[in-house]
Amino acid sequence: MSLLDLLRTALRSVAANKLRAALTMLGVVIGVASVIAMLALGNGARAAVAATFESLGANQIQIGQRFAMEDSEFQGVGEKLTYTDGLEIADTIPLVERVEMSASKTFKARFGKNTVDVNAIGTTRDALEGIASSGEIQPVGWKDNASLTAEDFIGEGRIFTADEVYAGSLVCVLGYQTALDLFSGDNPIGETIWIDRERCTVIGVLAELESTDVQERYRSDPNEGMLMPISAMIQNLYDEEPSVYMVAHVTDADRIDDAKEQITNLLRERHHVEQDEEGNYKDDFDMLTRKDILGQQQEAATTFSLLLAAMATVSLMVGGIGIMNVMLVSVTERTREIGVRLAVGAKQRDIVSQFMLEAVLISASGGVVGIVLGILTIPLAAALNQGVALLLPGSIPLAFGVALLIGFAFGLYPALRASRLDPIEALRYE
Amino acid sequence: MTDATKEAVIRIEGLTRKYEMGNSTVHALRGVDLSVEAGEFVALMGASGSGKSTLLHLLGCLDRPNEGTYWLEGVEVSSLSRDELADVRSKRIGFVFQNFNLLPRFSALENIALPLLYRNGQIDGDEQQVRALDALSRVGLADRAGHQPTELSGGERQRVAIARALVTQPAVILADEPTGNLDSKTGEEIMHLLDELHEEGRTIVMVTHDPNIARHASRICSMNDGVLQDGGSQHVVA
Repeated sequence: MSLLDLLRTALRSVAANKLRAALTMLGVVIGVASVIAMLALGNGARAAVAATFESLGANQIQIGQRFAMEDSEFQGVGEKLTYTDGLEIADTIPLVERVEMSASKTFKARFGKNTVDVNAIGTTRDALEGIASSGEIQPVGWKDNASLTAEDFIGEGRIFTADEVYAGSLVCVLGYQTALDLFSGDNPIGETIWIDRERCTVIGVLAELESTDVQERYRSDPNEGMLMPISAMIQNLYDEEPSVYMVAHVTDADRIDDAKEQITNLLRERHHVEQDEEGNYKDDFDMLTRKDILGQQQEAATTFSLLLAAMATVSLMVGGIGIMNVMLVSVTERTREIGVRLAVGAKQRDIVSQFMLEAVLISASGGVVGIVLGILTIPLAAALNQGVALLLPGSIPLAFGVALLIGFAFGLYPALRASRLDPIEALRYE
Repeated sequence: MTDATKEAVIRIEGLTRKYEMGNSTVHALRGVDLSVEAGEFVALMGASGSGKSTLLHLLGCLDRPNEGTYWLEGVEVSSLSRDELADVRSKRIGFVFQNFNLLPRFSALENIALPLLYRNGQIDGDEQQVRALDALSRVGLADRAGHQPTELSGGERQRVAIARALVTQPAVILADEPTGNLDSKTGEEIMHLLDELHEEGRTIVMVTHDPNIARHASRICSMNDGVLQDGGSQHVVA
């Protein structure tokens, strides 16, 4: 029998039982959709890890106060991580080259009659390098292929110097929009503005910035806010010392674990962290390196992918068994037809091909629907997995291949059974 | 055939067929010899269980004998494999069944063309149509080509089945109680059609238990308990 004739025959049989075929497909549909979602999550996690690699340098350690759920509230644990802690780390640990620190708070800023609520970020001098290397924000219209330096972020004036940070000078660099809001287009450089009850000299304005991630652009505006030396902010604008966020830069990336251990020891000593009965330290700070983030993300993605893989396997198995069941019923129902076909000259392979093709047709249709469904569920899967899901074009033929494979694997037995029928018995079958 | 000593279409010698039923062995055929010449119309008669259907199945290459030899148009077919037998069926044999055995949901024309589908693509789709329509015209149902079996009367269905048997131009038409599911008037019409085919020179072997039907044949062979009576040479003088 020619392939075209076979296909026509199989199509007819499937079309004769549309509802049955549709219900039989369900397992394959869900299975294939799971395969698509699983692959998307895996790829997304890989992409996210790659992105993390760029945002956190190989020689960097993020340090922050530990937070935990207490009385159904997310609260800081133990002592705050202070500016002085950061200075001490930079001073006493030779492996640490420098420590970037930042803290942020919203203040009222005023110039003349203009008043705005502004989120001030207190930083060390190298804040802009950190932003530049993160790759999350770029000057408007920046070409993707050109690499960014700290200088590219400055629109007018300058960023504060190391001396100004050291001295705690009340100087600030305004965001592009904030400068417009306060000065209505006049040149702000050298002017003095009021931040709460303190006077602060404007030494620079940032370039107009945008997020590199297009979706992110609708969520936050990097042009509102200001930068000032963290020392000045802590001394003058806080009632009590804030907890700061740090990034320690290690001189040798290969010795990052040594540095981590030394920082841990230093902070435990400074924060008087004690051991419990089992000898565990109840640290009040958390440290994160590239390796840690990679591990966490892979763990999350792996867990979720495993779940989906299990779901895919189960539903593909159930779907396959469903197909086998329906095909066995079909073979029984059509015993006489098989007998007639054998009597008029059908060979065993003709009968095998016909029933195999029917099974594959059902699973392939299920595969197509499953692929569409899988693509539609990617946003949902992404939401459950911290927003990382990425569909690679190669996943679609792969998922379709799985569907075909199910059809072949589970259609084989019924098809062989059909082909092995004794023509005389089959013709007599009532 | 140029030779005057024309080869028998069917020649069997010592054909034996037995079935294992649990612990006992059923001897359906106990060494049957038979020869059918081209253009003969042979009726196989006998009570149920006499082995006539078993013989027909063996003649139709649907089954293989335990012992004995079967030559179809001079070719030994009793030791062929399952697929080789299928090939023989598709080219050399046309079946007509008591219960018609047409495929439901397939039109008369498609049912007739079915044997041509299994010719490994030797006959293309257009040629299949032409041949099927030819066969359908031969049984007088050219205007029913698009009808499905459920839309046809019993007699019409059997005519379509006969057309299906004719479409491959087989060496022999094997009919198993072809009028068994029809009323006597329609049955007579079907027998008339078979008579015509016989007159056109076709070789027909028919199983029946009805003497009135068997009377149409040029030769009647009676079977009893797996043995052919009188050596199978009782000619009918109509």
